[in-house]
Amino acid sequence: MSSKPKVAFFDFACCEGCQLQVANLEEEILVLAQMVDVVEFREVMTGAAPAYDIAFIEGSITRRADENRLKDIRNRSKLLVAYGQCAVSGGINKLKNRRPGMDEVKKEVYGDSAGMPHLDTYPTKAIDEIVAVDFYIPGCPVNREEFLWVVKELLLGKTPRLPNYPVCVNCKLQENACLFDFSIICLGPLARAGCGAVCPANGVACCACRGTVDNPNKNAMHEILLKYNYTVEEIKKKFDIFAVDPEVQSGKK
Amino acid sequence: MEILKISKEDFNSFIDEKRTASAPLEGPGDSISGHAEKWKTIGVVKKGANFVFAELNSAAELCLDYDVTVLPPKKYFLPPKETLLKFIPKKAESYAAVNHPGPIALIGVHHYDLAAIHLMDRAFSEGERDEHYMKRRENSVLIGIYPTKHYKYRFSSSVIRGQFRKAADIMLVAMNGFFVVEILTEKGKNYLQGAELQENDFSLADIEAAANKIKDDQKIPLPIELVPEFLEKNHDHSAWDYFGGKCFSCASCVLVCPTCYCFDVRDEVDLTLEAGKRVRTWDSCMLEDFALTGEGFNFRAGRGARFRHRIYRKGKHLFEKYGYFGCVGCGRCAGSCTAGIAGPVKVLKYMLEHKQ
Repeated sequence: MSSKPKVAFFDFACCEGCQLQVANLEEEILVLAQMVDVVEFREVMTGAAPAYDIAFIEGSITRRADENRLKDIRNRSKLLVAYGQCAVSGGINKLKNRRPGMDEVKKEVYGDSAGMPHLDTYPTKAIDEIVAVDFYIPGCPVNREEFLWVVKELLLGKTPRLPNYPVCVNCKLQENACLFDFSIICLGPLARAGCGAVCPANGVACCACRGTVDNPNKNAMHEILLKYNYTVEEIKKKFDIFAVDPEVQSGKK
Repeated sequence: MEILKISKEDFNSFIDEKRTASAPLEGPGDSISGHAEKWKTIGVVKKGANFVFAELNSAAELCLDYDVTVLPPKKYFLPPKETLLKFIPKKAESYAAVNHPGPIALIGVHHYDLAAIHLMDRAFSEGERDEHYMKRRENSVLIGIYPTKHYKYRFSSSVIRGQFRKAADIMLVAMNGFFVVEILTEKGKNYLQGAELQENDFSLADIEAAANKIKDDQKIPLPIELVPEFLEKNHDHSAWDYFGGKCFSCASCVLVCPTCYCFDVRDEVDLTLEAGKRVRTWDSCMLEDFALTGEGFNFRAGRGARFRHRIYRKGKHLFEKYGYFGCVGCGRCAGSCTAGIAGPVKVLKYMLEHKQ
């Protein structure tokens, strides 16, 4: 038996885009494969193991059966990492929670098949609404360099600390034009950086897919919204896209 | 040293020659040691609606008629991220400094940015000399230009004096079809060898008028000599809470500031744990974690305290240390602040209007 840390990847309700980011590490993943034993990773291999040093969980929980599977993984894992925004906050999957009931949601998506047993779904939950999470890697999708860095920190026995500064920092370093200069409301001043500001760099407003900084200045944002004739409701809708609640975000570092 | 002139066409073709030159350099720097090296040539170019300093692919890209660049040229001397040294973990003798800057020419640096570089030069050479910064500076030629375009947040004439001439190697004044070329250093003179320089026939009065053509809309609302004491007396002014309440702590004001030089240093180790490097990155006193200590105490946890600290650095600490106002009046902070609160003119005006 190898003494290398046993690492496993699991997915729940998601697009699997985050594990694709990991698979796309290419050269680095070969080095990573020498440092750890990847014992389960459906996207790239077959196999199973009884216990894990680190379990990476992708996706949100949308079915009761998934809760048991997740709890079982937690029980067999020393460290559990929620990676990708679906796992971290519920992500886009949580949009349905704003609807009055699941029956309506199922009917809209599945039409006449809505009653099929495998389509049974309940309001979306983030991973930490079911089990304890040791570390979070936010983003939609995750930034693969950051993923690699977190793995490295964990292997070194360190506590990874995500950037606690807003996306504006990423934008300024790239000398991107500020979208506010074009009267476009961007969540950048509140959103957690680390993405390289890919959206604003391409003229698209930040939607805070990585959540907010620990201590976002909501009052300041409120003043800016008034200046640009936006309402609080409109901005809340922007935060809803990735199920980010600036009020409680500080708990997830 | 001397004042000459060059036509704009000749200037551009000279820049391109230097950029692609393969002849041994007579320019500055001890890293060259006789090898043929091209001049990395940086100039002001357009990026979308803004201007930035960037490496030129052709002198035709140069936009010397600009208001302000997003980032100041400090990024070439103190890069946002740089490797200071490399090492093998657990092998102390393996530490090796990384520093191989080639010759670099910066073209079109406004006078306030030169004043800022002069202040940075002092900060990185006095006391603990920073070889990484100083090597890059030694291997650089700075070609300045007096602004030809108005920028609504600029107030440099109320805060800088002649100190920018201490950083510049060459100053240009744009005059119809020509640049008047003032050569200030040997470095500058060497760089210009081979350029089609002509005798200057513009009158000094005309040159002076062209150099000072652009007037600032804003100014520091009190004599700058009085600012340190004014700030000292107003340590508990309501302005700090007022502006702190509006501040996102996004650090835009600091990142775009030509005189902000705070940095963070950390070690990065390879995934294999067999090689590592010490990396220096820009940091910012406006960010929440800047003053966070190892055991969790943050000695500048409040936004107001951070906001005050930044203004104190510019108006008091640096002023007292170097004898120059720590802000050069470029106005970038005011222009880049989403909340519209970062400009020192605005802050000092507010403090004067709300006397405690």
